Amino acid sequence: MRPPSPSIAEKDFFFNALNQNLRLDGRELLEPRQLGISFGSELGHVECSLGKTRVLAHVDAKMVRPEAQRPFEGLITIHCELSPMAGSEYEPGRQSDEEIALARMLDKIFRRSDAIDRETLCIIAGERVWHLHLSIHALADAGGLLDCASLASAAALRHFRRSEVEVIGAREVIVHDSTTRAPVPLAMHHTPFCVSFAFYSPPGVGREPRMLLDPAGLEQRLAHGMLTLALTPQRELAVVHKAGGLPLAPESLMGAVQVAARRARELEAWLDVRVREDWGRKKVEVR
Amino acid sequence: MSFTRPDGRGNEDKRPLHIIYERLDRVDGSARFGFGDTKALASVSGPIEVRLAAEQPSKATFDVTVRPLSSLPGTESKALATSLRGLLSPSLILSRNPRTLLQLVVQSLTPSPIESYPPSLAAACINASSLALLNAGSIPMTGVVCAAGVALFRSTTEEDIPALVLDPSESESREAVGCGCFAFLFRTEIAGSQPLPTNDTPGARLVWTNWHVKDGTSDDGELARAQALGLAGAETIWRAIKQSVPQMDNLPPPPLPSRSTAGELGIITQSDEVSDQDMNDAKIEI
Repeated sequence: MRPPSPSIAEKDFFFNALNQNLRLDGRELLEPRQLGISFGSELGHVECSLGKTRVLAHVDAKMVRPEAQRPFEGLITIHCELSPMAGSEYEPGRQSDEEIALARMLDKIFRRSDAIDRETLCIIAGERVWHLHLSIHALADAGGLLDCASLASAAALRHFRRSEVEVIGAREVIVHDSTTRAPVPLAMHHTPFCVSFAFYSPPGVGREPRMLLDPAGLEQRLAHGMLTLALTPQRELAVVHKAGGLPLAPESLMGAVQVAARRARELEAWLDVRVREDWGRKKVEVR
Repeated sequence: MSFTRPDGRGNEDKRPLHIIYERLDRVDGSARFGFGDTKALASVSGPIEVRLAAEQPSKATFDVTVRPLSSLPGTESKALATSLRGLLSPSLILSRNPRTLLQLVVQSLTPSPIESYPPSLAAACINASSLALLNAGSIPMTGVVCAAGVALFRSTTEEDIPALVLDPSESESREAVGCGCFAFLFRTEIAGSQPLPTNDTPGARLVWTNWHVKDGTSDDGELARAQALGLAGAETIWRAIKQSVPQMDNLPPPPLPSRSTAGELGIITQSDEVSDQDMNDAKIEI
């Protein structure tokens, strides 16, 4: 069931606080929530948290026949379905607009932007390729679900390693166990990170709209406009998503892009350290 | 029988149990239960508002959803959800909250190539559901349902007695001749003015099983022995759950910085609080 709309008292309190540049949880206007990550015992199993929002991502790979039109490329499917665990407004079976938007954004960010090199997933052209399946489960939605889901997906794709295969002749394939040959990480062209902003009408005439980074639950529901940017740490924009809402001047938009670029670099550095730490703990390869 | 399990456990040894109360933000109760690497996460919300079509005038509607980790939810998940609904209903007093909804979502955390719920995973789902219901504390309960998986191995010679093992891993379940999960409802029956019983574990009765044998030659004796082994396993799980309940409200471990080493030693006692977490909770998070 849908949560009741924010009450008038909550709305007034929030906007009064915002007029004084205060956020409800005490953060700065452009301060994100605390990040957390934990890796499962399998490679590619990641649980990510952004404040109280939590998302689980899992990658696995199996060998299939490739598509007829693209015999040299592997396949990637992304499955993201929200269950009532994320919040009682998500009903099983019925997809709300937010769920569809989430699934489409993740698809655009990771699949359509060619984040993973599909040609390296080919084993025997036309016969056998790797099919990567990324499942995303939202465990708790306290705002910023898209940011958390894309971070979890990026972490899972970075963390995952597929078995080493050896092709003998034209038809024989040997799949090596991870104890005999070290598994191989995925070849990624770039790792996009998603950053969301919420915009609110300016408090008076001639002023700028207010911008908050990483809106939490109530902030997101009361936003007059939302902007989501997916970009790489190398300052390449993958997706710009602004569907309706408050009109934004170009300066505000570019300001948001600069903030997002800094954030993407931070996320990259943080994620890299964590993934390597876990690989070291699991002793994935011996050098 | 001289039967050795691949990981060297005894026939009646379970893998280390993990009980973690997740404290997910948007639901009333949530918990994670694991037998070693076979884990499930359950969340409970209720009593909450129900759709008009699903409303019942004399009791709460109990809705169960089961999701596998990497496959699309299909027939197996629906079957397990229906079974869960049936076996948990005796433990809940749904008539206290009519015209409301009790929503249980179970997420399997064990990867598997096809959608399947081997006995240990089904048992983990059932135990996680019981823990989540206890964690929510908003639905009156008559007892706690605990479950354990059992597998049967036969030797090639006729003389040997078949071996029954507790808590089979996925590979053991595949190779076993018979396997199944047994779920028991633990509740204390008090009649009239009897004093409260002082012994450790309350009475148990079997509420569900999916015991099946592949080669078709089984007898009641074998089922009874399997059930007894399942009951022994479920009793230790019940005691572990009882031990974990007083620590339920302790703050959870710091938000997932490097929690992968936690929980290998049995029951988690979440007593190492973090001052960061205290400060964050003190600020309003809406």
